[in-house]
Amino acid sequence: MKRALQIGFYGLLGTLVVAALAFKIFQPVQVVPRIRLSPGFALVTQDGGRITNEDLRGKFVVFNFTYTNCEAPCGYMDNTILAIQSRLDEINLGDIELLFVTISFDPKTDTPEKLKAYADSLGADPDQWIFATTEDQVLLKAIIGAGFEAYYNQNEDGTFTFDPKFVLVDGWGIVRGEYRYQTQVPDTDRILRHIQVLSDEVQNSTGSASLAYEAAHYFLCYTP
Amino acid sequence: MSKTTRIIFIAGILVGIVLVAAWGLPKLRPHAFYGTLLQSPDKAPEFSLDSVLGELSLEDFRGQIVMLYFGYTFCPDVCPATLAEVSGAMKLLGKKAEDVQVIMISVDPLRDSVEELDEYVSHFYPSFLGVTGSEEEIASLATLYGVFYEKHEGTEATGYLIDHTATVMVIDRDGHLKLIFPFGAPAAEIAEDIAYLLK
Repeated sequence: MKRALQIGFYGLLGTLVVAALAFKIFQPVQVVPRIRLSPGFALVTQDGGRITNEDLRGKFVVFNFTYTNCEAPCGYMDNTILAIQSRLDEINLGDIELLFVTISFDPKTDTPEKLKAYADSLGADPDQWIFATTEDQVLLKAIIGAGFEAYYNQNEDGTFTFDPKFVLVDGWGIVRGEYRYQTQVPDTDRILRHIQVLSDEVQNSTGSASLAYEAAHYFLCYTP
Repeated sequence: MSKTTRIIFIAGILVGIVLVAAWGLPKLRPHAFYGTLLQSPDKAPEFSLDSVLGELSLEDFRGQIVMLYFGYTFCPDVCPATLAEVSGAMKLLGKKAEDVQVIMISVDPLRDSVEELDEYVSHFYPSFLGVTGSEEEIASLATLYGVFYEKHEGTEATGYLIDHTATVMVIDRDGHLKLIFPFGAPAAEIAEDIAYLLK
């Protein structure tokens, strides 16, 4: 009896150690990292309405930053969003709403009317793809430049030099992914995969499963 | 090696394994944070704002855990409720609370003087600090911390009110934003997470 208890105890101990090591090595649960807080903002949309970061709580949002007079690489960025939208049936979002928010850093030119015309030219669904900006240039720089860490600067000829970047933000307002133009893996594939991983975490991270997800964050089990 | 020596040797090894496991297993088990854990490689946004002690920056508190909250002294309900929970957490931490600094950043710089802020926050806990700055400084800083706020009409007695994000942000000893507590996080949960970060 005593020996059976001993074997049971050491067996359990060994299993726990092996399980912890296996979790770290094999990463059965993967997550996208919680990188930092996304910035707070209040912006004017293409319909002349207002959108704030608080309105986006509970939703997944893919942000990008551009101006409507832009030529390359803006076409690539718009096409990436259109491609993601056309492939949303490949992923399971459950009841989670996914939005796209394009913020213009050229508010002098990009009035709500101009943004609306631009959105219409792309065939953007206004319920899913919002175009927005603010006339407060200082705050705009704080939101895009410092908050989303996307560089932009206006050149003498009126064009902009900027960082063509997508940012994935979760329902808690936390940045979960950053994607730059011309990486080795196509942005569309990577963003879709990360949205799925995030969706799995939100939908499955309840009860004891939440411990596995938190362990995945703790052990830095990040999906590539 | 005699039989007795062999038994003692094996028993010693087994005791060693148990001791190592007892020491190591809790370290393998991650602490289940109540707040949302962030693993940002960047330092939390820096600031330099006015307080009753003079100008304070986040860097002044390196080596301490900082709990940051955006609120204002005219706030009728959300701020007192949150500061009361944070105060409760400080009391639960006991002596460990000496390594924790709570700072409230005013989103109402027009009305909140440093003296009023100090009187307000110290009502909740003696070591709490209140800081303020220009409207532009506060707006930029709030943006960086994901905090949205805006004025709206109040009553004649309260004057205008300010809707604002009511999260409590925890910055670790090295200056990294580590945890976020939503509005309504209870004192016991805050205290447990902070106690773990203080280890």
